[in-house]
Amino acid sequence: MPEIAVQKPIGIKRPNILARLFRALRLPTNDPFAVAGLLIYLIFIVTAIFADSIATHDPTEILYTPAYDLAADLRPGQDGFIMGTTSLGRDIFSQLVYGSRSALLIGVTAAFMVALIGSIIGLVAGYFGKWVDAVLMRLADIAFGIPFLPFVIVLAAFLKPSIWNVVIAMALVLWRDTARVIRSQVLTLRTRGYVEAARVAGSSDFKIILRHIAPNILPLSFLYGSIAIGWAILTEASISFLGFGDPDSISWGYMLQDAFASQALAKQAFYWFVPPGICIILVVSAGFFITRGYENILFPKLGR
Amino acid sequence: MTEPLLSVRDLRVSYQVGRNFVHAVDGASFDVPRGSITGLVGESGCGKTTVARALTRVIAENATISGGQIMFDGKDLAKIPEKEMNALRWRDIAFVPQSAMNSLDPVYTVEYQLGEVLRRRGGMNRKQARARSEELFEMVGIDRGRLADYPHQFSGGMRQRVAIALALALDPKLIIADEPVTALDVIVQRQILDQLKELQTRLGISVILVTHDISVVAYICDRTVVMYAGKVAESGTMHQTLTAPSHPYSMGLRNAFPDLQGAASGVLTPIEGAPPNLANPPAGCRFKPRCPFALDICGSEPPVIDVAPGHPVLCHRAKESASLRIEAAKTETWMAPA
Amino acid sequence: MGNFKAVGSRLLQLALVLWAVVTILFLMFRLMPGNPMAAYIDPTFTLEQQQQLMAQFGLDKPLWQQYLIYLGNLLQGNLGQSFRYRVPVGERIFELLPNTLILTFSSLIIAYVFGILAGAYLAWKRGSWVEQAAIPMVLTTRAMPEFWLGMVLLAIFSFSLGWFPAGGTRNPGNEYSGLLDLYTSRDFLAHLALPAATLAIYSQGLPLLLMRSNMLDVMKEDFVTMARIKGLSNWTVVVRHAARNALLPVMTSFAIAVGYQLQGNVVVESVFSWPGLGRELVNAVAASDYPLAQGAFLMIALVVIFMNLLADLLYAFLDPRISHA
Repeated sequence: MPEIAVQKPIGIKRPNILARLFRALRLPTNDPFAVAGLLIYLIFIVTAIFADSIATHDPTEILYTPAYDLAADLRPGQDGFIMGTTSLGRDIFSQLVYGSRSALLIGVTAAFMVALIGSIIGLVAGYFGKWVDAVLMRLADIAFGIPFLPFVIVLAAFLKPSIWNVVIAMALVLWRDTARVIRSQVLTLRTRGYVEAARVAGSSDFKIILRHIAPNILPLSFLYGSIAIGWAILTEASISFLGFGDPDSISWGYMLQDAFASQALAKQAFYWFVPPGICIILVVSAGFFITRGYENILFPKLGR
Repeated sequence: MTEPLLSVRDLRVSYQVGRNFVHAVDGASFDVPRGSITGLVGESGCGKTTVARALTRVIAENATISGGQIMFDGKDLAKIPEKEMNALRWRDIAFVPQSAMNSLDPVYTVEYQLGEVLRRRGGMNRKQARARSEELFEMVGIDRGRLADYPHQFSGGMRQRVAIALALALDPKLIIADEPVTALDVIVQRQILDQLKELQTRLGISVILVTHDISVVAYICDRTVVMYAGKVAESGTMHQTLTAPSHPYSMGLRNAFPDLQGAASGVLTPIEGAPPNLANPPAGCRFKPRCPFALDICGSEPPVIDVAPGHPVLCHRAKESASLRIEAAKTETWMAPA
Repeated sequence: MGNFKAVGSRLLQLALVLWAVVTILFLMFRLMPGNPMAAYIDPTFTLEQQQQLMAQFGLDKPLWQQYLIYLGNLLQGNLGQSFRYRVPVGERIFELLPNTLILTFSSLIIAYVFGILAGAYLAWKRGSWVEQAAIPMVLTTRAMPEFWLGMVLLAIFSFSLGWFPAGGTRNPGNEYSGLLDLYTSRDFLAHLALPAATLAIYSQGLPLLLMRSNMLDVMKEDFVTMARIKGLSNWTVVVRHAARNALLPVMTSFAIAVGYQLQGNVVVESVFSWPGLGRELVNAVAASDYPLAQGAFLMIALVVIFMNLLADLLYAFLDPRISHA
């Protein structure tokens, strides 16, 4: 017997779109770590937007000291370079600042695509069931059989190395996790009283999905999206580190590859390869903390 | 009369919820005579399960026994050190849980779980444990071949028998059964209760049967303790409390349940309203808001009045119980609570 | 009987996934822009010589024929010839596979032993400052790029302190009579230490967090409370009942982690010049050695798929609710 849910679906009244969105997303604002995560995100977003004014130099320009020597391998603070320079005489601080741009660009776009594709596939599979579900879930099985990083490497290497190809490669594989979770969520939602009621009342499938199901899976999509942000940034860093990254954009992964190839380890140039790593950790763990705050809201039993 | 096996006096158990304390058991007193089945009965949330668990001293992390005595066989279980308490557990006081499905470890066979208790707690060796396990299965009427099965391979009723076998393992003096048949259908309920009664009589043990179902009490209990909102409303022999209840709550309960034989004795009349929130209980008698016989005096703490020897009642109007019973038998009495 | 059906459909699913991955792999490597041979055709070659070379690798035939030849070859275990090394791809891969497996398993075993113990401990200590401090730290290790962690360890313990060698599997000049001889030598273990530590530090977070949250769940179960009411010792309650149940999903995650780790190896092997499958894949892709890249990819995919299967089987085997249904 279908359970008669007393709970009203979210989003039946429509006061103001932004308030609705915020409530639907249920931002975890009472978990201190989640708040710290949101704060880190904010700082990086601001840095990325105002990179031009924050950076002290052009990140790709080969620089010279006031004495007209190549400004190569300078230590932090030397000749006014805040974090020192690379072996080719580029400013590390400015590269770091511009690196936030590609990190956020790749993180947000990849997360958006992963969450979007995964949610749509999960929704369709869960809602329509039968052969549609069978086909889509076999596709997910296949995606689970593809080794993720090698796949991205091969694709990024064969297509032109660019941020977009890395994003596409990621989206092609990573939708699987989101899709599976969303699907099982939809399966339980489908049996709720108000969905049954809407169906009996003759609402179209499209309307039911949009009105009654989509609003309820939005937080879950957002959760998986925020996990994907970290994944995307880490993946891009790995790809760039291996030399298959976008040669035209400065990313933290590219900086690490540059440092590694320029013997920064042997030169003990910690000022060169430690900061990009820290930046990656900060942004990715910010995502984790937000995610964790989310999980505590969505699945309270996991919490303390 | 011999001294009772268990004598609980003024027991208090409180839960810490945030910064507040909820007194789930607020001064409960009752006796459990040797060789009897005592029913601990009341609505859910009345504190009966908390009392049962307090007797084992395995209670929720946020709960504490904040006062009172639990005299068991000459020892005060509320005071003895944990080590001494642990030595008593299962050897003297065993437990039959509500849902054997969740109370048996899913990854071990039943034999392992019996053996664990027999060997670790009973000091038996492997061979003795095996023999005892077979004996126990025979006692509860399960084929010994099923010892090697896992909990999920048994039906609900069978699992409950396994739980009883487990409780009997070390020949305890007292078995606390917490809603042992609630999850089962009526026919299986009766089988299990018959079995429990038969074993209890044969082995001469005492049983505390925690239940919300007054028909279960009427079916096998010798004595009854009726709890309401963390306090004992009334206790006495089964006949005293059920045939001639003296607390309005017990009168109401009797009207609200069919008997286990299935004979519908007239119309079932529920008690209107819900038990009070124990974080903020009403002053005076806690049953007052739902009681059809409440007077102004009920706003003050009710006294414990012995209406007969060994039959204490927590009610201002306990002495008038004979006339109240006549009123309480009428359905319309319960329709419009004061 | 339901079991047989379940196993059957699982195997069918495995076959489908295998076929799909193999096909995707074929398409990926054949439909790429440009002539796959371009990197290996000397501009001085005559057209005839070029065509000869194309024919040698079967690249002159229509695509569907190439696909059938490819499938046929795969079924016979023939992965083709490496452009660069001019040796059979299979030979090269099986030379490198042991190195990768040793790195993967040694690091994962360390990670799981540590993660399970620490996870159980943190569940026990929940709410304490130790737990409050540990969880964000663990999350941070999960947020590290593995190769960066490798770089930092390398810079400190190899270049600065000189405790460990910087890369490879053995010191130049050292010769060993066989794999076992090599793998048990101090030389090899010293080379293994840093990459294994890198992967272990990264991987311990998964079993740790999983074990912790499972423990917290299991500790609330009725059977754990019952074990206490039975008067069993704290050790018996926590280890035999709580941990034993909490361990189930963690053990299955091991198989998945192996498949996953193999992908992470790609970068870490590159940092430590570890002659394994991952580094070979990167090098082969960079050098446009398609057959070798394809073979390395396929091998990694095979392990991933097989490990996913193993995880399912392991779960069914370890959980009596499934194995004794």
